[in-house]
Amino acid sequence: MTLLDINGLSVRYGDKTIVDRVSFTVDEGQWLMIIGPNGAGKSTIVNAISQGADYTGTIRYLGQDVKKYKPVDLAKQIGILAQNHHVGYSFTVAEVVRLGRYSHAPGIFAKKSNDEERLVEEALEITGLTPIVNQSVLTLSGGELQRTFLAQLFAQNPKVLILDEPTNHLDLVYQKQVFALVNEWLKGEGRAVISVVHDLSLAKAYGTSALLLNRGKTVSFGDMDSVFSQGNLESAYSMDVYAWMREMLSQWT
Amino acid sequence: MFNQRNNGEGFNALAYLLFNFILILTLILCVCVGSVNIPFTETASVIWKALTRQAVESSSYTAIILSVRLPRVLCVALTGAALSISGAAMQGLLKNPLADGSTLGVSSGASLGAVLAIAFGITIPSLPFSGTMVMAIAFAFGSLLIILSLAYKLDYSLATNTIILIGVIFSMFMSSIISLVTTFAGEKVKNITFWTMGSLAGSDYNNAILLAAALLIFGTVIACHARELNAFAIGEDNARHIGVNVKRVRLTILICVSALIGVCVSIGGTIGFVGLVTPHIVRMIFGPNHKRLLPASSFCGATFLMLADLIARTLLNPLELPIGVVTSFVGALLFIYIFYQSRRGQG
Amino acid sequence: MKLFQKFLALVLAAAMTMSLLTGCTVSGSETRSPETTEAPADADAQTDAPTDAPTNPPTDAPTDAPAGIIVTDMMGREITLTEPATRVVALTASDCEILYAIGAGDTLVGRGEYCDYPAEVFDVPSVESGYEMNLEQVIALQPQVLLMSTMAQSKEQVESLEKAGIQVVVSNAQDIEGTYEAISLIGALMGKDAEAQAIIDNMKTTFDDLAAKVSANTGEEKTVYFEVSPLEYGLWAAGNNTFMNEIAEMLGLTNIFADVDGWGAVSEEQVLTRDPDYIVTISMYFGEGPTPVEEILGRTGWENVTAVKNSAILNLQNNELSRPAPRLADGAQMMYDFVYEAK
Repeated sequence: MTLLDINGLSVRYGDKTIVDRVSFTVDEGQWLMIIGPNGAGKSTIVNAISQGADYTGTIRYLGQDVKKYKPVDLAKQIGILAQNHHVGYSFTVAEVVRLGRYSHAPGIFAKKSNDEERLVEEALEITGLTPIVNQSVLTLSGGELQRTFLAQLFAQNPKVLILDEPTNHLDLVYQKQVFALVNEWLKGEGRAVISVVHDLSLAKAYGTSALLLNRGKTVSFGDMDSVFSQGNLESAYSMDVYAWMREMLSQWT
Repeated sequence: MFNQRNNGEGFNALAYLLFNFILILTLILCVCVGSVNIPFTETASVIWKALTRQAVESSSYTAIILSVRLPRVLCVALTGAALSISGAAMQGLLKNPLADGSTLGVSSGASLGAVLAIAFGITIPSLPFSGTMVMAIAFAFGSLLIILSLAYKLDYSLATNTIILIGVIFSMFMSSIISLVTTFAGEKVKNITFWTMGSLAGSDYNNAILLAAALLIFGTVIACHARELNAFAIGEDNARHIGVNVKRVRLTILICVSALIGVCVSIGGTIGFVGLVTPHIVRMIFGPNHKRLLPASSFCGATFLMLADLIARTLLNPLELPIGVVTSFVGALLFIYIFYQSRRGQG
Repeated sequence: MKLFQKFLALVLAAAMTMSLLTGCTVSGSETRSPETTEAPADADAQTDAPTDAPTNPPTDAPTDAPAGIIVTDMMGREITLTEPATRVVALTASDCEILYAIGAGDTLVGRGEYCDYPAEVFDVPSVESGYEMNLEQVIALQPQVLLMSTMAQSKEQVESLEKAGIQVVVSNAQDIEGTYEAISLIGALMGKDAEAQAIIDNMKTTFDDLAAKVSANTGEEKTVYFEVSPLEYGLWAAGNNTFMNEIAEMLGLTNIFADVDGWGAVSEEQVLTRDPDYIVTISMYFGEGPTPVEEILGRTGWENVTAVKNSAILNLQNNELSRPAPRLADGAQMMYDFVYEAK
């Protein structure tokens, strides 16, 4: 079943076209990798889906235009992990993660269910944040901060996860952990993942489909093998990616 | 309101009891101490009789306590609470610890409204409050709309920095118009000068009721947005990602803030630093969570301003200092101290 | 940064307002007679101004004028004019009034923006006064003499004016005696000594008459409260070392804020406890809402103030008692009528 259907998506800032008529779909159980060199418009697509940028074209979730969703309802379906986090004040890890439940009980007089706190604790647990749950987010390392917001996302418990460079600040251990976590999460019913990834090896390892962009335009969209063809990558990155990857790997023998 | 479902993020009833206790203690202190020395027993008996609706003999003590001091202290407390909750909301909403009604240009817009009302003698017949108030509120709203639409034109996402920048520029623009109006006001220049100094002297119960109503309505609306403000304080993108209707919430908060500031400015003039410093101090003690920050700011703001007013009323007896001078003086020192401490704390 | 500026601005604004309001009396705690015009310390700078007076005032007036005029202004500066001044800029409202009173209003080519009496003065071009005095405006008007008071004009401004060949004359009246001195000083400058003397004599006669009538009237001593700013904007009262206070003493009244120096923001509580027999307000009425008198009568908590009970409130709308000008006599007369004749 198709969860997200993006059709003719364009984003312009002034007279500059950042994303140019991009179309793709994400089905249940899929992990779509959005790849491409810097300035390809990868993060802009994420912003458009989260309604954080003006766009033309349509974005449908389960057949309905996302613009017709109320923000809280959309947040229950689509969760987004931003690339960078600049927290203004010294909130605790728990406070940030708890906000993930916002869309599930937005009303001030809404009743608190026991599930609420359990989901928060679970999210903290699987991201390994339980020991620092009362620490101020201002004192966290980049990796801890990233995991805090990932935990918030798990607490939010949407159907589609959109991760903008999820392992940006993470060392190898957590990179592996995060991808394993998301992979595990994806096994649940009616779920899908979209992630913007720079590391082509990681993308190749976990993706089930891919969207390759260059300068805002689609180079290729489809299953992993067809998108990751030598010709596609070379035209997008202007270099022999295959040769480079082999050279990198050859060091480890 | 007492946060049963707040996951322990809000205050419990005991904390509120303590806040109220301190607030009432300060209020009693401020009603008992003043320019004219009135014995405590006299004060107590006058207030007791007034509360129990017994006939009070009209004496100068009665007049001072019931007609001068009590309404003024009430107005001061309510103004302090309103300005502080506004400041806290602005700082959260814009994720900027330097944000305040004045940074947004709402205060100066309101001032311009009031100054125009004075300069052109604008009064609204058959309304219990004077033209300055209506004009101040109207101009606070107007400034807000101008700032928002300008920011919207320049930057679709209404980015935080754009708003503050436009607010600052707008603020300067308003100040220059005020100077211009003052220059052309001719004989009314004196009234305008007095007004811009900010005075809560001469506050009456009507003012207090108006302030209380504004605080009750707009303060409650702000308090009901504690979680949204938390999300904004963490980051506007994050707020949108977790499902906050960012544009609606922002508009709601800005409207509430400008209404509160408009009412405060028209009654007490521009009083600096309360709205800025109080939330800072509170944040140092209770953390940035708006479920605690908003109520604590209003309690502390009320207490702070009452004490500042007490100093203003009594320091140079029989003269009065403008309250803005006291708040700015104490506030600036406190602010520098806190800023220094927090910077050092962050390393 | 912004905050600090705001703070500074506030303090500055406060300081400026204070100086604006009390400026007339800052250096006037010891009353000076016209003979002993020793300059206050803060005015040293101005007395240091070049003594080699400019010799070429821009003029196309006849040259066969009478012998030069030499006057000493109220800062002790010596001013020499070859002939009575025919082009004058007056920055203070009181000097404007004096010029018109002695019949020299036609020499006025520029006025400070606060000059508002008599009505003809509005036909004269207005210039910015105070710290923001617009030098170019003043120089463009080509006056021979600039009349100003000690307040708010800086040393640099004075020097620039003198370099431009404009004689700067300082009037600095702190009391009625000082007012006489200012009138005779301006009279001398304009070659209208006789007119000036007539006005001074007239004022003296009025004051003497009033004082004589008052001393004949031996009742208990009454108190008066001079309200400078209404409650809505924060009460301000005129205290000691003000013209109002001097007139009150002359009329046998005690100012309830005699312990305040100059004008000051006073506590409403103090007004209520000090319970004045009379209230004089100088608030202006602009034709809308309650008049200043009605507004005071309607204040809650003031019901028991004697002046309010007796409706003994006088509204002096036109600065009769706040400026060192001939109209002080009118103001004194109005107050006398109000206190002693009204019943």
